[in-house]
Amino acid sequence: MSFFCDGNVHSLPEGSDSPSRLALEARRLGFGCLIICNHSRFEKAFFPEAASFIRGVEVVMGIEVVAENAKVLHSRARSAKTRYPFVAVHGGSEEVNRAACEDPSVDLLVHPEEGRKALGIATIKAARDNDVAIGFDLSPMIRLRGASRSRWMGLALRNLALMRKFEVPAVITSGAMSHLDLRTPRDLISLAEVVGFEASEAKEAIQHSLKILDRNRRAWASPGVEVL
Amino acid sequence: MRSRLPVLRKRRRYLVIEVDSEETLRSVDLAAEIHSANASLYGDAVVAGNRLKLLHFDGRFGVIRCSHLKIENSRAALSTVYSVGGIRTAVRVIGASGTIRGATEKYIPRLSLISADSDGRRIEQEEVSGRIVHIHGRQIDLCPDDPSRVKGSDTKYLGLTSFDLRGGYVDADGTADGLRQGDNCIQP
Repeated sequence: MSFFCDGNVHSLPEGSDSPSRLALEARRLGFGCLIICNHSRFEKAFFPEAASFIRGVEVVMGIEVVAENAKVLHSRARSAKTRYPFVAVHGGSEEVNRAACEDPSVDLLVHPEEGRKALGIATIKAARDNDVAIGFDLSPMIRLRGASRSRWMGLALRNLALMRKFEVPAVITSGAMSHLDLRTPRDLISLAEVVGFEASEAKEAIQHSLKILDRNRRAWASPGVEVL
Repeated sequence: MRSRLPVLRKRRRYLVIEVDSEETLRSVDLAAEIHSANASLYGDAVVAGNRLKLLHFDGRFGVIRCSHLKIENSRAALSTVYSVGGIRTAVRVIGASGTIRGATEKYIPRLSLISADSDGRRIEQEEVSGRIVHIHGRQIDLCPDDPSRVKGSDTKYLGLTSFDLRGGYVDADGTADGLRQGDNCIQP
């Protein structure tokens, strides 16, 4: 099985493809794992059991929590952590980005640049302390053109520089809404190199979701104490 | 007389691409979109040095020429193709070779063009309903009755598989009159 994982894709009813169709396509493109993270509003995916019939690719149901403020975010993330093995947060505003990075229930912060501001130093340090990875959804590279894409690339580059400085892990995803949005791992690495990643960094970032899943599947008695 | 000295000839690589689209594409439109995506990502100066060109396209597989130093650049540019003439499209590079013959023999299957069936049957389920547009293998493209179902993804069709239609029906197929037996058949 491949060690590449697309950590943030969306299926029916949010996207246009069922989990099994996404799994079929992901397997063909060379992924070994796919994490379906529908936004909280579309939490109930269409027939996720069908994806288990596709051999050679593991499909994991996660969630992308959407919250307006820090209080709601903490409550929703804690609740989601008990039900899903992978919890992502849809970032944007500085308040939500900071709250997500300060919450140990959160595994991944995606779209932090949506508020058109790069992450702050305090936010990045909180992400490092709480093991929150920062997501680089490369769909703006595919969908956008011109000024809006260069603005997105500028913000992504600034976040990347901060993450390198404070050694916060990155997760590269396609943010796919349909099978037409999925790209091969090598295509994602090439796109990430255009944004500013080194090839080895990009490869590690595509595999990092698997490490998060592995960590979440282990039983922890308390922070740092594992039940064997 | 030769127009160019052989020693000045640029080395090339040939990329084989697989194109996934909702409708059949014309080769001319795809070539224009690839050029546009490349120019938009890298600018005219870099594009001039790469000389990316679509040499052949059969409706599914194609061969693209690029400079041997710009394979990764070309790969990135090709993956940014989003739609061709308003038709949602994805271009994936499946291999690279130093000769057209090598690229063709190694990566393009002999019977490459998929002939998708479209027989106008319908799927009536609680969560999805609509008309089947394409079936190939286990993949089913469905034109939904409610167009708002595909609003978020910017596509025309819903992507399902035969596995999604299992259950809830005596005939175990989920279509109004049953899927064709054989490859598309759902065996419980």
